[in-house]
Amino acid sequence: MGLESLIGGEGFLTTTVNSIVNWGRKNALWPMPFGTACCAIEMMATFSGRYDISRFGAEVVRFSPRQADLLIVSGRISLKMMPVLQKIYRQMPEPKWVISMGACASCGGVFDTYTLIQGVDQFIPVDVYVPGCPPRPESLLDALLEIQNLVGEERFDSGKHGS
Amino acid sequence: MAADMVDTLSPYDSLPEHLRALVTDQVEHQGQLALHCLSADQRTMLEHFRTQQGYDFLVDMTAIDHLGMDQPERFEVVYVLRRLGENSQLFRLHVWLSEDSPDLPTVFDLWDSARWGERETHDMFGITFEGNPDLRRFLMPEDYPGFPLLKDYPLRGMGERRQFPRVVPRGDQMAEEEPEDYPTSIGRGMHTPEYTEEVRRDSKPK
Repeated sequence: MGLESLIGGEGFLTTTVNSIVNWGRKNALWPMPFGTACCAIEMMATFSGRYDISRFGAEVVRFSPRQADLLIVSGRISLKMMPVLQKIYRQMPEPKWVISMGACASCGGVFDTYTLIQGVDQFIPVDVYVPGCPPRPESLLDALLEIQNLVGEERFDSGKHGS
Repeated sequence: MAADMVDTLSPYDSLPEHLRALVTDQVEHQGQLALHCLSADQRTMLEHFRTQQGYDFLVDMTAIDHLGMDQPERFEVVYVLRRLGENSQLFRLHVWLSEDSPDLPTVFDLWDSARWGERETHDMFGITFEGNPDLRRFLMPEDYPGFPLLKDYPLRGMGERRQFPRVVPRGDQMAEEEPEDYPTSIGRGMHTPEYTEEVRRDSKPK
């Protein structure tokens, strides 16, 4: 079925620790859903059978930020919610990635008002933005693949791991 | 609707003579009656509707800011009442409230639901309800200084939505940075008379 049938018996692979870790990470992202509005409905659709995010290895949705490495901000973030979002982001273990899903999370959308954060990227680092109002599940899947590319490019001495 | 389920007398018709004199205006729209009165008579009227006419359910309460409009007072506090246990129409009492002293007596002793209604109205309009023991912030953050549904409150706020520290990845640690344009003063302090006057001028009906 998988790799073992190609290698057969007691074969071996040559690779770098960096590559094998990235390979493992990017195919087993654990998302933390931060759904606050209609984008969350599309996010739920993406998680469920029809669009099936588990085809990309990201189906283990964790409602504890301490067990997740991908934060999906889907929905409006208000004045009162922003500190909560920051707290949750800070509780996630390193390395971690953030998807800003939909117009509201990315730029405030149509809600240009006193209480709505005009883009969460002002206050937490965002890796991938998903346009749309709300975006279709395919867009979120595309963003996930984009995150996987980012994870695949990670190096131990730079980027998210820093020094 | 069966005839016996309909209110035979409107809330206005059921008012005794001395209370009818307090009604400054009555408006009926789509079968729903609205009575207007002055803020000094709010308590008398509501007590009457609660105890004499049996309006045992305060459906909702809110306020309207008429800044710059041609109205008797700047604020209008709206009480939406209904009788439970019968098919009664909704009915509203509108109370005119002056901008100079935006406070009213509480009615939470008449309807418990007024506790949160008054709290929300205070949160959004800065109207004080004397006697309400719990006028904490309701929808806005606890340290929020302004009253955002006032017409002279800027739609985009006073900079509150930019005032969060920025979480920055720095090496393997997360740091917090203060944003550069941290607002120095937000809230009612910035409600200068000039600004209010400007809004009043701009919102005058042409």
